[in-house]
Amino acid sequence: MPELRPILLVEDSPRDLELTLAALEKCQLANEIVVARDGAEAIDYLFGTGIHEGRPSGDPTVVLLDLKLPKIDGLEVLERVKKDERLHHIPIVMLTSSREEQDLVRSYELGVNAFVVKPVEFKQFFKAIQDLGVFWALLNEPPPGYRAKDGG
Amino acid sequence: MDRSEINLESCAQEPIHIPGAIQPHGALIVLRPADLTVLQASRNAGAFFGADLRLGGPAPVILDPLNDDIRNWHESSEAVFQTDISDATLTAHRSGGLVILEVERSGTQTLGSLFARLRGFAQVLSTQADVAGSLAAAARFVHDLTGFDRVLVYKFDDDWNGHVVAEAGNGRLPSYLDLRFPAGDIPAQARALYAANRLRVIPDAAYEPVPIDADRELGTAGSPLDLSFSQLRSVSPVHLEYMHNMGTAASMSMSIIIDGRLWGLVACHSAQPHMVPVRVRDACDFIVQSLAMRIAAQVHSQDATRRVELARISGDLLRAMTSASSWSEGLETLPKDLVAQVGASGAAIIAQGECHKVGITPTDDEVRSIVGWLSGRADDDIFATTSLAADFPSAEAFAGEASGIIAIRLSELYENWLIWFRPEVIRTVQWAGDPHKIVQEKGRIHPRKSFQAWSENVRLHSQAWSEAELSAARDLRNAIVGIVLRKAEELGELTSELQRSNKELEAFSYSVSHDLRAPFRHIVGFAQLLTDRENSLDEKSRHYLRTISDSALAAGRLVDGLLNFSQLGRASITHKHVDMNKLVAEVVKSVILNQDDRAISWSIEPLPTAWGDATLLRQVWFNIIENAVKYSRHRNPSEIRVRGSVKGDVTTYSVSDNGVGFDMAYVGKLFGVFQRLQRAEDFEGTGIGLALVRRIVERHNGSITAHGEVDKGATFVFALPGPEKKGRALA
Repeated sequence: MPELRPILLVEDSPRDLELTLAALEKCQLANEIVVARDGAEAIDYLFGTGIHEGRPSGDPTVVLLDLKLPKIDGLEVLERVKKDERLHHIPIVMLTSSREEQDLVRSYELGVNAFVVKPVEFKQFFKAIQDLGVFWALLNEPPPGYRAKDGG
Repeated sequence: MDRSEINLESCAQEPIHIPGAIQPHGALIVLRPADLTVLQASRNAGAFFGADLRLGGPAPVILDPLNDDIRNWHESSEAVFQTDISDATLTAHRSGGLVILEVERSGTQTLGSLFARLRGFAQVLSTQADVAGSLAAAARFVHDLTGFDRVLVYKFDDDWNGHVVAEAGNGRLPSYLDLRFPAGDIPAQARALYAANRLRVIPDAAYEPVPIDADRELGTAGSPLDLSFSQLRSVSPVHLEYMHNMGTAASMSMSIIIDGRLWGLVACHSAQPHMVPVRVRDACDFIVQSLAMRIAAQVHSQDATRRVELARISGDLLRAMTSASSWSEGLETLPKDLVAQVGASGAAIIAQGECHKVGITPTDDEVRSIVGWLSGRADDDIFATTSLAADFPSAEAFAGEASGIIAIRLSELYENWLIWFRPEVIRTVQWAGDPHKIVQEKGRIHPRKSFQAWSENVRLHSQAWSEAELSAARDLRNAIVGIVLRKAEELGELTSELQRSNKELEAFSYSVSHDLRAPFRHIVGFAQLLTDRENSLDEKSRHYLRTISDSALAAGRLVDGLLNFSQLGRASITHKHVDMNKLVAEVVKSVILNQDDRAISWSIEPLPTAWGDATLLRQVWFNIIENAVKYSRHRNPSEIRVRGSVKGDVTTYSVSDNGVGFDMAYVGKLFGVFQRLQRAEDFEGTGIGLALVRRIVERHNGSITAHGEVDKGATFVFALPGPEKKGRALA
């Protein structure tokens, strides 16, 4: 079993945040959930800059990234991560309300690992979040050389 | 030459200016200018010049008082010298370095009386408003002055065909008014002669020609005498035959020369020999010259008037075209001006596949056949002919409406044309004279035959298009092209405006998809969280929570459906061969997933391969089959049948069920957005499914129909075109 690395949840809507956290909680994952409320904060966390300067090192096991975000939107966060040599292997799941084809196409062009349209139905939403959490946090094996926590 | 072998072609080769003989009503001598030695003389010259006249000798005594005058004249630049000697009039002119002297008996009329009459004519002429009036006045006046039985005025057209445009007479000879003559009736070399020598006279067509003798030593051996400017010149036997056949014994003709060109002739005839003295002839020459000047002025003023009128018409047409929604609609509002623009009798506008006709034109199909022929030609922007049938043989069938056409091409891409028509000229001509009256006419050449010959010449021909008319057509084309270009610019602006508003709409639906969906998700999510958390809730409270959740869910689905529908309008379709059997199998599998307690009897026949977008076609099958399952859920078992067939380039598919069906009265509402034929409590749904289906099918250039019967079932049929098919496939 891979070591426990955090899940980075980037979500600006407090309601979506609450629902997503409730869903993740139900999965009973041991991973820490780090929440970023906008794109800039997510970048700071991932790159260890700004308010997250000097945070304990180690990459999240997966980033659940909302598409529409204040300051820096999800696509830009995705682009910057996937263009960064040190970070590009971090799995990013785009979680969005949008069914827009252009977003889907753009996300895959930028190297997204999965693209999930949040289902209106709560049970399905729950299941989607749980599946994502379980898959990326528990089942998926990261590539060799994945930056683990300090001393991990 | 055997007379019976004379034909008009041989006439064209005859050297008519060097006949070597004169008519007998006067005499002619040829003098050497240096010493006035007589070199040649007509055989009757002695009767006029005195018995002392002899070849090789000095000028006859009668000329003694005139010797100095003749020498002085010869040194001057005057073309003609004229004087009276006793009862005769003497006229001298130069020919090939020699002096030709002609003498005729003077008439009884005095110069004074002639002058008074000419003054009267000048007055009458100045009051004539138009060319026709001037011609008629001149014909009347020449008739009065000369006493010929009939005076005709001919006008030549651009091809030298003659047309009798005015006439005056005493009824002894038939009327030829409006008669036409082919160009060959007056051959080119005769026309050249007429242009040079304005007046010809034949007092008696039955005359015996008087030969001209030359002095054996001093005479001009080798170079025959040029009698082009002689008034006594003997005429061609063909011309005499023509006169004979016309029943005329005497004639005189005068040239109407305008701007250096032979415009027409004034031709006088009498049934009996008729002599007109030199002075009267001179007066007639003066009349005809005055007439020519008058016509020139009137033609120029008519041209100017016509130009002003054309400018007015062009302006009106331009205004109509710019204010209408398209140039063709603009032209249709001014049919008279459109036709008048080039002096046509009809016109057709062919634009956007429509054919609109004005005035006298061939039928729609014939016009289209012309367009078909025109578009196959080299791509000139303007094509004009006076004999369409010569280039396009099938046009002979409608020569009566369209022998002449001007066609202007108005688009490189589309068959947009403007075509003007002129009828075959023969149909516009009437001959006022009754042919049965012309009893005197016999032989092979006479005006009646001329008319036939002329008719044959102009068969399948229209009147010529003038340079002004062609340039008017060209101008109109430029105006239309300009307008079309401007309209295209406007359309371009409209397109970018549309693109902008489309972008706005896209942004709108984008934010709807984000911002409207989220609250519904939240309602559903929190209602569920509450339900899970509060075990103490009573059944009623749970029902309320469920209702909140269901309503939000339904609204969320509605938003999804709408977005789906609006995205379909923008999404591009990728056409591929699609295995419909596979698609249907998948769809059936996913549809029955939630219906495990249902008894459904499927009958799925092998389906032909379709040409289209697999993802979208899957949506079509899904919606139709899901409907069939949904609306037959009260049956046990439900019977659902899927079939397909191929006909030519079109594949057709159908889905039938034995469900609740629908009333055909509402079939029109079936495919509309938000149109539902069932109550929501009976059958759930958003009212978007079939609208989506129709949109997908139509974006494939296909079509869909539905048949239903209440409580019996429904059948949906959709047809898709194959890769080769042009146009819509009909279900």
